[in-house]
Amino acid sequence: MNKLALTLNVNGQDYDLLCEPSRTLAQALREDLGLTGTKVGCGVGDCGACTVLVDGQTVNSCLVLATQAAGKAIVTIEGLADGPKLHPIQEAFVEHGAIQCGFCSPGMILSAKALLDANPAPSELEIRQGLSGNLCRCTGYQKIVQAVDSAARTLRGERTVG
Amino acid sequence: MLLPRFDYQRPRDLSEALGLLAQAGDQARPLAGGTDLLVNLKLGKVTCRLVVDLDGVAELKDVSGPGEAPSLGALLSAAWLAKQAGGLGLMGLAEAGGVLGSPQVRNRATIGGNLCTARPAGDLCTALLALDARVVLAGASGRRELPVEQFITGPGLTAIAPGEILLAARPAPGATAGGSAFEKLGLRRTMEIALVSAAVWVQSEADGRTVKAARVALGAVGPTPLLARAAATALVGRPAGTEAFAAAAQAAAEAARPIDDHRGSAEYRRQMVAVLTRRALERAWSRALEATA
Ligand SMILES: Cc1cc2nc3c(=O)[nH]c(=O)nc-3n(C[C@H](O)[C@H](O)[C@H](O)COP(=O)(O)OP(=O)(O)OC[C@H]3O[C@@H](n4cnc5c(N)ncnc54)[C@H](O)[C@@H]3O)c2cc1C
Ligand code: FES
Ligand code: FES
Repeated sequence: MNKLALTLNVNGQDYDLLCEPSRTLAQALREDLGLTGTKVGCGVGDCGACTVLVDGQTVNSCLVLATQAAGKAIVTIEGLADGPKLHPIQEAFVEHGAIQCGFCSPGMILSAKALLDANPAPSELEIRQGLSGNLCRCTGYQKIVQAVDSAARTLRGERTVG
Repeated sequence: MLLPRFDYQRPRDLSEALGLLAQAGDQARPLAGGTDLLVNLKLGKVTCRLVVDLDGVAELKDVSGPGEAPSLGALLSAAWLAKQAGGLGLMGLAEAGGVLGSPQVRNRATIGGNLCTARPAGDLCTALLALDARVVLAGASGRRELPVEQFITGPGLTAIAPGEILLAARPAPGATAGGSAFEKLGLRRTMEIALVSAAVWVQSEADGRTVKAARVALGAVGPTPLLARAAATALVGRPAGTEAFAAAAQAAAEAARPIDDHRGSAEYRRQMVAVLTRRALERAWSRALEATA
């Protein structure tokens, strides 16, 4: 099998790599680039732990080949904070206790980001639908939904985080 | 879960893609969104030596202009349909796109992939069947068109020949003169393969009362998405409304061939066919009136 030379743009930075065509984006991010914030759970599209943004849209990175993401703008959880300052969605997850073991959190937060980018004032139902591709085995979802609602209000400038 | 090893090509146009597929024979697989193919490769249900990524073939993303007979390129995604198909007068297809899988899956899953996978519960397959759509196929020996009904031949089986590429799905030219709707029932409300689904299309006579034409398609209650012809017959020529819709819903339930499994009994599925058909008809009819006005 011929290896492919490709360039992945992740969180604004270009990375050159040589990889097998069958390498998934999740593998490339975690194993080649060392960006282990992206998690892998089921590997078949069911759990959403591997969610990243590709050109602003959420995808399951376990079901995208690394080469399919070449030339596109990839955002992982590592790209959300501004230096030491957490993104308002991350702040809200901490503030609301929406993180327990944390395995689902990177994917959950990126799904929330895509949702709020497209719909800055979602209803509770829209939040639940927006997060429907992300499973959480710990929180029971309620605190996650509250965190996203609260982050939406912060991002709309209706409240400030202390 | 790891993918098996394979070679990868990303052709830049259709003739290059067809050439690669012809050369590799049954060792090659086209790749669209990958939400079925990559899963099946990981699970070992499909094997192949070469993956031919269709993403570079621009004409597979073509859409017909407003006023033209609708034509939807095979690579258009479920998320695209959810946003755009309503504007083309194809609300049933927009609704089907909007409830397929999860947001992440919708961003990748394509029309062509849904048709070629040909699951009995395929949401886009069922919605396209109600719109009397045809599929356009290209192969080494030229192009051909088939109605969706003939394209899907069994569970996971289609009439596509080795080396062929599905170019587009074309709802019937008259589809936009009527209204359509899609209803899906699962054990949970999102991220669920249908337990039962119903896709309907209806057209009104100029009087705004009488049903001129209708199609009712059912998902997950047979080996393929089914066309319930008797349900359409129960509607055509009758005044639209509770009575006609109830008769059509009953006929649809009788046409269904559901099975018992761990997700639900055949009897439950049959009853839900009637409920979903009636709900879809109510919504589709109000859209049909807008299309007639
Ligand atoms: C978590 C999850 C949830 C899902 N939920 C649903 C659901 O609710 N409803 C539903 O209907 N489906 C669902 N699916 C199945 C899948 O997402 C759909 O069938 C989707 O439309 C497949 O499209 P794709 O572009 O990803 O296909 P791919 O995986 O790229 O391809 C599927 C098959 O079609 C062939 N193919 C693709 N495009 C072409 C073409 N243009 N010409 C010739 N051959 C082609 C491929 O070679 C392959 O054999 C789900 C899948 C996952 C992983
Ligand atoms: S690991 Fe990708 S969806 Fe579960
Ligand atoms: S916090 Fe543990 S899976 Fe969500």
